Amino acid sequence: MRAGPSQEEIRRHNLGALLRHVHLGGPTSRAELTSRMGLNRSTIMALTADLTAAGLVREELPRQTRRAGRPSLVVRPESAKVYVFAFDVGVDRMVAARVGLGGVILDRRQVERRREPFSVEEEIGRLAGFARQMLRKTREDTVCVGIGAAFAGGVARADGVVRFGPNLDAYDLPFGEELGRRLGLGLPVAVGNDANLGALAEQSRGLGVGCRDLIYLHGDVGIGGGVIVGGQLLGGHQGYGGEVGHMVINPGGRPCGCGSKGCWEAEVGERALLELAGRFGKKTGREAVRAVVDAADMGDAQAQEALRRVGDWLGLGVANLVNLFNPEIVVFGGMLRDLYLGAAAQVRSRIATDALPASREHLRLRTSALGDDATLMGAAELAFSHVLADPLEALARVSS
Amino acid sequence: MTPVLELRGIDKSFGPVQVLHDVAFTAYAGEVTALVGDNGAGKSTLVKCVGGIYPIDSGDYLFEGKPVHVNSPRDAAELGIEIVYQDLALCDNLDIVQNMFLGRERRNGLVLDEDSMEELAQKTLASLSVKTVKSIRQLVSSLSGGQRQTVAIAKAVLWNSKVVILDEPTAALGVAQTAQVLELVRRLADNGLAVVLISHNMNDVFAVADRIAALYLGRMAAQVKAADVTHSQVVELITSGRSGELGLKNGSGVTQ
Repeated sequence: MRAGPSQEEIRRHNLGALLRHVHLGGPTSRAELTSRMGLNRSTIMALTADLTAAGLVREELPRQTRRAGRPSLVVRPESAKVYVFAFDVGVDRMVAARVGLGGVILDRRQVERRREPFSVEEEIGRLAGFARQMLRKTREDTVCVGIGAAFAGGVARADGVVRFGPNLDAYDLPFGEELGRRLGLGLPVAVGNDANLGALAEQSRGLGVGCRDLIYLHGDVGIGGGVIVGGQLLGGHQGYGGEVGHMVINPGGRPCGCGSKGCWEAEVGERALLELAGRFGKKTGREAVRAVVDAADMGDAQAQEALRRVGDWLGLGVANLVNLFNPEIVVFGGMLRDLYLGAAAQVRSRIATDALPASREHLRLRTSALGDDATLMGAAELAFSHVLADPLEALARVSS
Repeated sequence: MTPVLELRGIDKSFGPVQVLHDVAFTAYAGEVTALVGDNGAGKSTLVKCVGGIYPIDSGDYLFEGKPVHVNSPRDAAELGIEIVYQDLALCDNLDIVQNMFLGRERRNGLVLDEDSMEELAQKTLASLSVKTVKSIRQLVSSLSGGQRQTVAIAKAVLWNSKVVILDEPTAALGVAQTAQVLELVRRLADNGLAVVLISHNMNDVFAVADRIAALYLGRMAAQVKAADVTHSQVVELITSGRSGELGLKNGSGVTQ
């Protein structure tokens, strides 16, 4: 049997907790940290001193206060110096960014993708190239503390291999390993499902701050889902949990990229909308979806009918999720933002009639606060996670 | 929960024409209340009564649970009620900061306190997560329709207002800008304000509203939670004043 945590473990935990406060909450005065963390002033001072010495935070006098007495020093994250690389691979675009502690995007590169099978050589090479470009522009006193990537597919928790990504035609792809090798920074690349990471991002610095039950729905070509239950991301046995896009809601319905029929993402995805609107085969992506909403707004009857049908399916799926998980917030991200705002009457009517009244009583439906960067920011959070878990150890590992 | 704004039994006539009949209306902090109704149902009149532009003939006007008398727009502003009209009332030849403080400029002695006005304007826009505006010293004439709407809304929020009433904020906007304005409307409420949204667009209403108040020929047909009704029920309330159990009891509601 073990005794309680050691002094060292408590200190490590507190260092991580303080850094997390500043990382997520922005510059915070020592006095505020004292009250928020429930520690005494001298402990906060000692912890801040350690983090300052490690170069993770710095302390400054506040610009102005209206209170009497000596102002409490403000602890700021060293956003310009401590950073991670974050990558986001979607069907239509790939993004690489350098994100500073505190969640500040310091630099970013983005490229449109053609809808072709994912190419390890070309596309991972491209992402690594972006990172090298950004790396060349950094100053010498900066340090990269982690690498994270969001991928539009199912990612195995054990080894970070992308097991399936039907919309990118990627199967059993050792994405993290390949990208890590090409980057050559001596750091592992943490990989996660894009919608899962979007959910974590919304929970840590988006709409869901303080919310323990949240579902993030990410519309790309299909629909990804991140389900947070009781504060924890629902990963399932191997990490493929939350694939809400593949719940079958219309048996024998539209064929889905996964091989099944009538999956939610087949009924609500981009292709269904464009086909119903009579616009399939022309433009694709967000622009095409917006064009349908725009046309419906202008009175195009076919576009209106397409939105009505797709909105109906969207509402039906959300109603099922509401009954299953009783979330506090459902967040619509990616293409679903446009779809929800364009078909909200249909979506909410469905929820009103099909979800259990008790389960939907306090439900809030929102569009992503982080917008198109939700999944990217999730990847950054993933990259920061080990630094926040044990700041000094992580930093020592990086700089050695 | 006490509503921030509560009206009971409001009557309003213009000469021989009675425009509002025994209207009740409530708005809660942290919620978007959509005010819907056909043209001529009395939406604008009701809003102008709230804003102190028209005096009410009879009825109770309660603010934060206390009866008040609102006889002028200034009274309404002092309570913390701001109305953003469709024409936005912005000056094209002034920049964003100047517009936001128009008529209520901050002074430092004899001169205008530009620094503090700029800081406050910046802070307000940041609190609303407005990222589309490049510089707050930009002339309003250079802004897009959606950005103008944003500035007009930010101006209303600047004065520690408690109730913000928006008259058709998405009319005449494209899809991308409509989305931004709807998100802004939602954020206002999520920041704790009571927001009243007048709109003809059922999608906009359902996208952001917590409650829906439907006016029909000058009477409040129903005020319901948006989560409990369907699109077609709301359309029925607007067009016939009733929908199943909901709505006016005596059918058309026009029997005098």
